[in-house]
Amino acid sequence: MGVDAEHRRLVSEKDERRVAFRLGQRAIIPSLFGAGAWGMVSGVAMVKGGLTVPWAIMMSLLVYAGSAQLAALPLIAAGAPLWVIVTTGFITNLRFVIYSAALRPYFADLPARARARLGFFMTDFTFALFMRSALEGKLPGKHRDAWFSGVCANNWLTWQISALTGIVAASYVPTDWGLEFTGTLALVALVGPSLVTRPALSGALVAAIVALLTHALPFRLGLFCGAIAGIVTATLADAWQSAAPPGAEPA
Amino acid sequence: MNDPVSGLVLAVVIVGLALSTFATRTSFLLAGARLRLRHRVEVALRYAPVCTLAAIIVPDILLHGPHGTLDLSPLNPRLIGALATGLWLCWSRHIFGCLAVGMAAYSLARVCL
Repeated sequence: MGVDAEHRRLVSEKDERRVAFRLGQRAIIPSLFGAGAWGMVSGVAMVKGGLTVPWAIMMSLLVYAGSAQLAALPLIAAGAPLWVIVTTGFITNLRFVIYSAALRPYFADLPARARARLGFFMTDFTFALFMRSALEGKLPGKHRDAWFSGVCANNWLTWQISALTGIVAASYVPTDWGLEFTGTLALVALVGPSLVTRPALSGALVAAIVALLTHALPFRLGLFCGAIAGIVTATLADAWQSAAPPGAEPA
Repeated sequence: MNDPVSGLVLAVVIVGLALSTFATRTSFLLAGARLRLRHRVEVALRYAPVCTLAAIIVPDILLHGPHGTLDLSPLNPRLIGALATGLWLCWSRHIFGCLAVGMAAYSLARVCL
């Protein structure tokens, strides 16, 4: 009797997780065009940057970070020193530290291995979708990790398949169509709805201006400077707003 | 440009990039449970997505060419595409529609302007 009930509970838990995974898979579908275009552009860039097909596939599978790869490729082709290439990649990736901190509270209860796995598959797209869904209250109440795994699974598959297509068909993929802009537009669509509060709007504005002003900094530091400046601004604006008397714009 | 890059250097570069990506992506997720963040930091992190993505998106729209020349002209095709996406976003939250409208506006602007 007890064993039976336990068995039933485990089965239904497994079913629930499967449902959450599927919902996550479905939630990312509209943004997959962005991920696909971005993956294909990365694939083409690797081959045009002088990598042979096996190396390009290896890079795509192991690194799985389009922006860091695109930042590193011209340096590799130019024969830059190793530390310069890796530092550039690292600083391009620094934003993931912020993402990782933002995701932490949602997954703090999971075992370390599960957290490491979710981290490995986290990208700009999957992170932005997760946070937007959290903001809009669209995350499932339970099994958020399964939901996020579903999001990441589809994003990863799409990105890798498109990168592979780009690698194999590099000479046939037109590079002058501006395909990669689809990725940027997908981010615009993901982030746009969060701009409704004043702190978010001011933070985004400052982030953009600082990133523009510092874009010439070495190692792609500009992106990180912009992000930090924006976050500080938004936090100050948030504190100022909460300190304002009631009747002011709600947070 | 198109000479295959030497194997050993490339292997080190790929491993280095892979490690740096993994380390940054898992940093706080792994430091996880033991850490207790201050309230102020948690508020700050709520604004992380919008600020970081703004720092990625806006330069991509406004800077062009190898030296990143600022292009604030209203005829900038990327600006037109992004504005189209933004406008579409105001009355529909469907990402696919936003992408389609934005890419159509961008491509049209590139062909016509």
